[in-house]
Parts: sequence; C-alpha cells; structure tokens
Amino acid sequence: MASEHEYYVQKKGIAKFLDYLCLTPLGAIGFLILIIVPLFPPFNQDYLLRWFILAAIMGAGSMAFDFSAGYIAVVNFGFAAFVGLGAYTSAITAVRWGIPLPVAMLCGALASALLGLFTGAISLRMRGMFAICLTWFIGIALMGLAIKMVWLTRGMLGLQVPYFFPSDVSNLYYWYPVLGLSLMTWFILKRIARSHMGLAFKAIGQNMDAAKTSGINPTRYRIINFTVSCALAGWVGAFYAHFIGILTPDFLHTAKTVEFLVIAYIGGRGTLWGGFAVAFPFIWFTEMLRSNFDYLPGINLLIYGLILIVIMIFYAGGMAQFFQYLVDKYKDNPTVRWLTT
Amino acid sequence: MLLEIKSLDSGYGFLQVLWDISLSVDEGEFVALIGPNGAGKSTTLKTISGLLPPQGGEILFAGDSIGGMEGHLVCRKGVAFISEELNLFVNMTVKENLEMGAFTVEDSAKQKENLEFVYELFPRLYERENQYAGTLSGGERKMMAIGRGIMSSPRLMLVDEPSLGLAPMLTNEVFKSLRTLNKRGTTILLVEQNVGKTLKTSSRAYILEKGKIVLDGKSADLANDDHVRKIYLGH
Amino acid sequence: MASAAIEPTIDESAIDKVEQTIENTFVQKVVRWVFSAAGITICLTILIAIVASIHKGPYILVNTIITGGMWALMAIGLSLLFSVMNIAGFAHGEYFMAGSLTAYFVMQPIGKYTLDHPESFITYVGPLIAILAGTFMCAILGVITERLVFKQLRIRNREGWLLNCFLITIGLSVIMQNGHQLIFGADFKGILAYWDFPSVPILGVYISMDRVCAFFIAALTMVGFYMFMMFSTAGKTIRAVSQDEEGARMVGISVDAVHIMTFALSCGLAGLAGASLLFMFPSYPTVGVMPLYNSWFIIILVGFGNVAGSIPGGFMIALFQVLTRSYFGEGWEAVIPVLLISLILIFKPSGIFATKVRTVWDQ
Ligand SMILES: Nc1ncnc2c1ncn2[C@@H]1O[C@H](COP(=O)(O)OP(=O)(O)OP(=O)(O)O)[C@@H](O)[C@H]1O
Ligand SMILES: [Mg+2]
Repeated sequence: MASEHEYYVQKKGIAKFLDYLCLTPLGAIGFLILIIVPLFPPFNQDYLLRWFILAAIMGAGSMAFDFSAGYIAVVNFGFAAFVGLGAYTSAITAVRWGIPLPVAMLCGALASALLGLFTGAISLRMRGMFAICLTWFIGIALMGLAIKMVWLTRGMLGLQVPYFFPSDVSNLYYWYPVLGLSLMTWFILKRIARSHMGLAFKAIGQNMDAAKTSGINPTRYRIINFTVSCALAGWVGAFYAHFIGILTPDFLHTAKTVEFLVIAYIGGRGTLWGGFAVAFPFIWFTEMLRSNFDYLPGINLLIYGLILIVIMIFYAGGMAQFFQYLVDKYKDNPTVRWLTT
Repeated sequence: MLLEIKSLDSGYGFLQVLWDISLSVDEGEFVALIGPNGAGKSTTLKTISGLLPPQGGEILFAGDSIGGMEGHLVCRKGVAFISEELNLFVNMTVKENLEMGAFTVEDSAKQKENLEFVYELFPRLYERENQYAGTLSGGERKMMAIGRGIMSSPRLMLVDEPSLGLAPMLTNEVFKSLRTLNKRGTTILLVEQNVGKTLKTSSRAYILEKGKIVLDGKSADLANDDHVRKIYLGH
Repeated sequence: MASAAIEPTIDESAIDKVEQTIENTFVQKVVRWVFSAAGITICLTILIAIVASIHKGPYILVNTIITGGMWALMAIGLSLLFSVMNIAGFAHGEYFMAGSLTAYFVMQPIGKYTLDHPESFITYVGPLIAILAGTFMCAILGVITERLVFKQLRIRNREGWLLNCFLITIGLSVIMQNGHQLIFGADFKGILAYWDFPSVPILGVYISMDRVCAFFIAALTMVGFYMFMMFSTAGKTIRAVSQDEEGARMVGISVDAVHIMTFALSCGLAGLAGASLLFMFPSYPTVGVMPLYNSWFIIILVGFGNVAGSIPGGFMIALFQVLTRSYFGEGWEAVIPVLLISLILIFKPSGIFATKVRTVWDQ
C-alpha cells in the first residue's frame, strides 16, 4: 500500500503520462476497453448502455465513499443524502435560474461540500461510531426535508430534471461524459491520496492516537477528507439527476447508501479502484436478478446483504485483496510487473 | 508435578515469542520466572492460563493436558492468573469483584471462607468493600486482583509482576501476602522484575531470556550465580 | 527516594477526603446533579413535557410515556450489545419487525378463538402469549445470528472488529427486510387491538387498554432487567464481560456463553418492543427502521454503553417526536430531533450521561 510513496522509477513518455493520471498500464487498458466496447454490438444497445452508465455512476460514487471509509475510516452512513443533495441542488438551480447544466452540477457539488464541511465539523471531533451515527442522522434529516419541502422538491411526486441531451439521442452521448467524470473523480482522489495529505489520511485511518502524537491534527485532516468526499458525491449525484430525469426523496435513503457501501467494500476498502471495477459486474448482476426474478421482489437486495456478510467474515479485503494476491503470486513475471506498476 | 510444561512454543499470530520452553512446578512450591523486559514472561503465563493458544508443545496440569484449552476451563481446573493489567471489573465494587472471583466455586461456605481470608490478608479491601474497583489506588488494585485470584481457591496461582509501580513498602506487603498464601498450600508461579526480593522469597527460579529458558535452579544458588548477579542484581 | 514515592499517595487521599466532605449532604448532591448536563436535560425535558401537556392537552404526556418506554427497551438492548460485544447493531430494527411479525401470526388463531369465546380467559392471556412468543422468537433469532455470523467473524478476524460488525449488521438488516418481503409480502400485517376492552380514563383522556398494558410491560421489563443485571449471577457475568473480557475469562466465565446470552437478551428486548406495539405498528418489511433510528438517537444522546441512561433517553426522544408531530405535523419527526441532537452534541460531544470510566467505542 505504501509502495506508491516509497520510490519512483523514472518514467518516460506514455508511462509518465499514465503515472500522472495515477493509472497503471493495466488500469489504462481497462479504461480503453470501457471506451471502445460500447461502440460494438451487442453492447451498443441502449439498455445495455444504460446499465454501463449506471454502473459508472455507482462506481464513481463508491470511489468517493471509499475515500473517507477506506482512508480515514469514517463510514459516511448518510452518503446517499449527500449524493442526493448534489442532485437536487443541481436540478433546482438549473430549473429556477436556467444556468447551464455543467455549472449547475458544480453548484450541486458545492452544496454537498458545504453540508459535508458542516457535518464533518460537528461529527468528526468524535470518533468511530459517533461520527457514523451523526452522518446517518444528517442523512435521515435531509431525506425528511426532501419529503416535506414540497414547494421546492415536489416531495414524493418527484422532481422533473432537465436532461443533458435531447431525449431522443442514444445513451452513448451520456457514456463518454460519465466515463470522463469517473476518470476525473479517480484522478482527483488519487492525486490527493498520493500527496502529503494522503499520507496523513492513512496515518489517521490506521491509528488515530499514533497520528496525533506524531503531530497530525486529525480533526482537520478528517474534515478536509470528508468534505472532498462529499463534494465528489454531490457532483456524481448531479450527473445522475440529469441522466435519469426524475428525482424522488428515495434516492437519499439509507438503502442507497448501503448500495454504495456494498460496492465499495466488495471492491476492497482503501483502494478506490476496487469499487469502480466491481460496480460493472455487480450492477449487471443485480439488474439481471431484478428483471429475471420480478416475481421475487427484493431478491437482489437480499443477495447484496448475503455477499456483504460473507465478504466481511471471510475476506475483509474484498476483490482488491484477491487481485493483490494474484499480483504477488506472479510478481516475477515481467509482463505482470509492467502492467501493475 | 502440579504443572509441567514440555517444549512449549507460543506467540501472537505470526510472531513467535516463546521457543521450546520446559519448566515444572511441584505442588506447594513457590517458583519464580525472571527475565528482562520483552523476554516473554507474560506470554508464558498467558499461554498457561489459556488466554493465548500455544503454537506447539504440551502443558500438563495435575496430569491433564490443558494446552489449547479455553481460559475459563483452565480456571475451573484450579489455575488463577493475576495479570500485569489486573483486568479488574472497574464498574463493580470491591465486594462484587471478589464474588466474581469465586464464580467457579459452587460451595457457598467455601466462598465465605475465602472472602474472610482475603479480608484478613488485605484489611484495606475490607475497608473499601463498597468502593468501585475503578476508583482504587494502584496498590489497592493489586491487592484486589490477588484477592480475586484467591477467591477461586486455586491450586496454582500465576502472578505477573505484582510489584510493578508500587512503593517499596507496599511491595513488601504484597510479597508477604504471597508467602502467606503459599504457606496456606497454594502453589505459586511468580513473574517479577524485582529479582533480589524474588530470589529471597521463592524456592526455585527459572531465567527466561529472548523466549528461551537459559538457567534454572534453587533460588539461593541462582542469587550467587555470576550471570544473574551481573545482569539482574547489578553487582 | 522512598518518601518521594509515598508522598503522592498521601496527597491523593487528602484530596479524596476534601471531595468527600464536599459531597456529603444529600441536598448538595441533588443540587449538583440538577446542574450537571444530565440533570439539566432531564429537568428541562420534564418541564417541557408539562408545559406542552397544558398547552396541547395531556395526550402528549401519555404518548410520550407509552412509546418512550418501548424505545428505551430497544435502546437498552442495543446498549447491551454494544458494551458486551462491541457490536453496533444496525439490524436491531429487524428484530423489532420479527417480534411484531411473530406476535401477529400467533395472535391470528387466538383472535379467532376469542371471537367465538369472548368470556374465555384466553381473552386476557392470549395477547400475553403472543407477545411472549415474539420475544422468544427474537431471542432465538439473535442466538442464531450470533452463532452463524458473529462467532464466525470472531474466530477468523478480530482486526477492525467494530467496523466489520457494523457492516455485517447492515447486511443482516437488508437480508431480514427483504426476506420478510419475499416470504410474507410487503403488506401491513396488523391487529386492531390486543385487549379489546373499553378505554381507561387517565387524567381526563381515554387511553386504550393496549397502551396501558404496553406501558406496564415496558416498566416491568425494565425493572426485571435491572434486577437481572444487578443481582443474578448470569447478569453479573454479562456485566463482567462488558467491563473486562480477559478478566472474565480469568475468573472462569465462559465468554462464549455470555455472548449467546447477550444476543438473546438484546434481541429479545427488541422483539418484545415490536410485539407489544403491534397494535400501533403493523408488521411490514421496513417497520423496524423508525424504531432503529429512535434507539440510535437515544444511544447517541445518552452516550455509548450507558445502559441505565437509555431509560430517560427513551422518554426524551419520545417527547421530542410527540412534540414535533403535534407542533409541526407528521413527517418532521425525523428532521427536528436530529437538529436538536446535533445541537446537544456540539456542546456535549460524548453524550449527556457519558461516564469517564470506559469508552470502548473510541475506535
Ligand atoms: N498482544 C501482543 N501482540 C503482539 N506482540 C506482543 C503482544 N504482547 C506482547 N507481544 C510481544 O511479545 C514479546 C514478549 O512480551 P511479554 O509481554 O511476554 O514480555 P515480558 O517478558 O512480560 O516483558 P515485561 O517484563 O516488559 O512485562 C514482546 O516482544 C512483545 O512486544
Ligand atoms: Mg510482562
């Protein structure tokens, strides 16, 4: 884990550029595949593209979630509310003031960041469960507000949100922006994680007392981390709003947080990429369950729960740990080494 | 032999601390285990008392194998462990703590007898019967822990550094009570840093360094041993 | 050297004595308590309850007392789970749900029978049977989860226990909610009343028999629970494990057995609350969510691991909610109490009854 800080091999050309993007060659290949695949059948069908897009949104969200859960060990249990706040803010500013959607998305991110700052400031002085519970309460309160402030959000009726693109275009139009957004999220989070601040985050996450004695002010760093995570959550949420076209308060529900959480933890906490990689098969799997077993409502969620428990008991490191195990096993193979550094 | 350990290995996860330890304690003996910091003395006691599973070797107590047995079952066999951290129930009163110590004793007459003995041994505890254990002073906590150990009428008592952090006067008192206890028939295996006093009190001693037993013998002989004098007694 | 080492102890005992003399009289103790954080909040709560009851009518007080008792029961269970096993139970609402579901199914035949035989003693005892069935069902469910899930984790991985358990309970909650939906469907499964008797007039308001009984069940359970924890051997072993697990092992307590007992008790209490409140909250997959919120509000408000503090906490939360519902309307009860709690926590970050002695939650 700490290897990224330990030494830098001088890299040139494309490798240097990739390194700047914080991508390993393997990651870059995966990314290229994601760029190309939706152009070819059968993946260019609209409903499959829709699944790709939803997965990328969930993946980007789970990266933002993992940034605080995996690095500073603060599980933001009201995460979906922050995502939803971004979505609502973006939608409402766009509708009311008619500002262009990309700017509205930034407004969404800003709103989430501000609320994140506030939540962090009151909860992150406390530790572990206290902080988790407070974020959760704030999430519940936000959802309550979304339901009750009908004049603003139209409550349970759902808020109509302007689409990014005219409704008759292919989903391909959404695919590349969301891919860019995911890459951007990855880039921002990873650059921070690699910086001096990222080291502090990790120190705090592993042992807060030790970090404190070595001169780090944990509360400050935790608040910074939390705010960044919330800002990105709001950003992702805003994109989601303009893709899906309608917002209901359900989107702020704890159950949605659980979805992000399950993806992040199955992917492997503290890795960021794990959640993104897992989101694709995971969303596909649950969508398939939902559509093939529609006489068994909730079966997909039930399976979420089972997977989460099994992973937590038997393999707390998630998929990333398995990947690392494979890499370590074949580390003498030069191709593998080149691909993963 | 009451306690017999044969080539015991133990440690924490992948970290092995004890290497091939063998020692034995006879019924009624007062045996000391001495060694520098980090030698693995506490680890030895934890392994015997079942708080830590052994990684190899055998532990026999009164002829039965207790290696790998769970802590509460070892306690039921008649082994009391007074740990370095004392592990008191801080939100219970002194009396409740002592009662919990007698958890394995079914006979209430026996419980009462033990309680009286403890109060006799440590009158200070009797005075503070209804005080919460968390508010006791360091010395009182030590007495409390030893008292709790006595309450289960153990055949063997494992005591880990009772003098740690005590003023010399209190240390003497604790040592005296251990001797009284031993005279009353309880076998004692004592771990101590205060080597001079320990060698005077105990009948036999083992010396543990870096997880291995390097010396053993009568305490009086060890007190005159060159190695012991140089390293532990400082003269 | 020796005197230097002894001196501090003398100093300490002197300070002790001074403190004891300050604390001595009963009146002074009471005054002190009233001005502590706990005292201020409790007195303020009572005051608000009385003022609001005069303003809006006594039903505020009545509703507070009835629901408060049940939330307190749930919070006690959560607190227990927390302080003994270090598990943050986010599936606790689901035991509430399971309790109400069991009570519903047991109550069905009983209800049919009493319809035909209104004079039978079953009319009085039947509902109690249903409630007890709900309680035991949940206790058993709790034991099963402990064995199947938490025991397994304990054997395999003790690192990051608190967080892993938290995630596992989330998984459990999702499984139980959707399991309910799959097997029993999402519709409301409720009863009109347990004890179908005329309402009892108290303080000029008519209160249904069920509510009165619910209150007595809660009160009796709390007293019983307290007695059990303080005076029974089993209760003492639970307390011992919660205070020092190693110590408990050292005196011969089987920690494994205590864990089973803790789960049974804690889930049983949640089931009892669910079953007793079946007439107010019909059973459906997510019926446990609100009770779960409430019990967590309580725990955060009074401070972690404070079992006794859950009782006043329960009434406080219930009052908050009753008040918001009657002054702001339905639906705000999730919002305004949260703001209040956040406010309290800004001033008192570790809860209003936080004790100094042990904080295992600090991880
Ligand atoms: N819980 C633990 N996990 C990992 N390693 C441990 C643990 N407890 C002790 N150790 C290590 O085991 C070794 C032996 O420790 P032990 O406590 O047995 O020493 P000791 O002889 O009792 O020392 P002291 O005189 O300081 O009490 C030490 O190197 C210590 O760091
Ligand atoms: Mg030691």
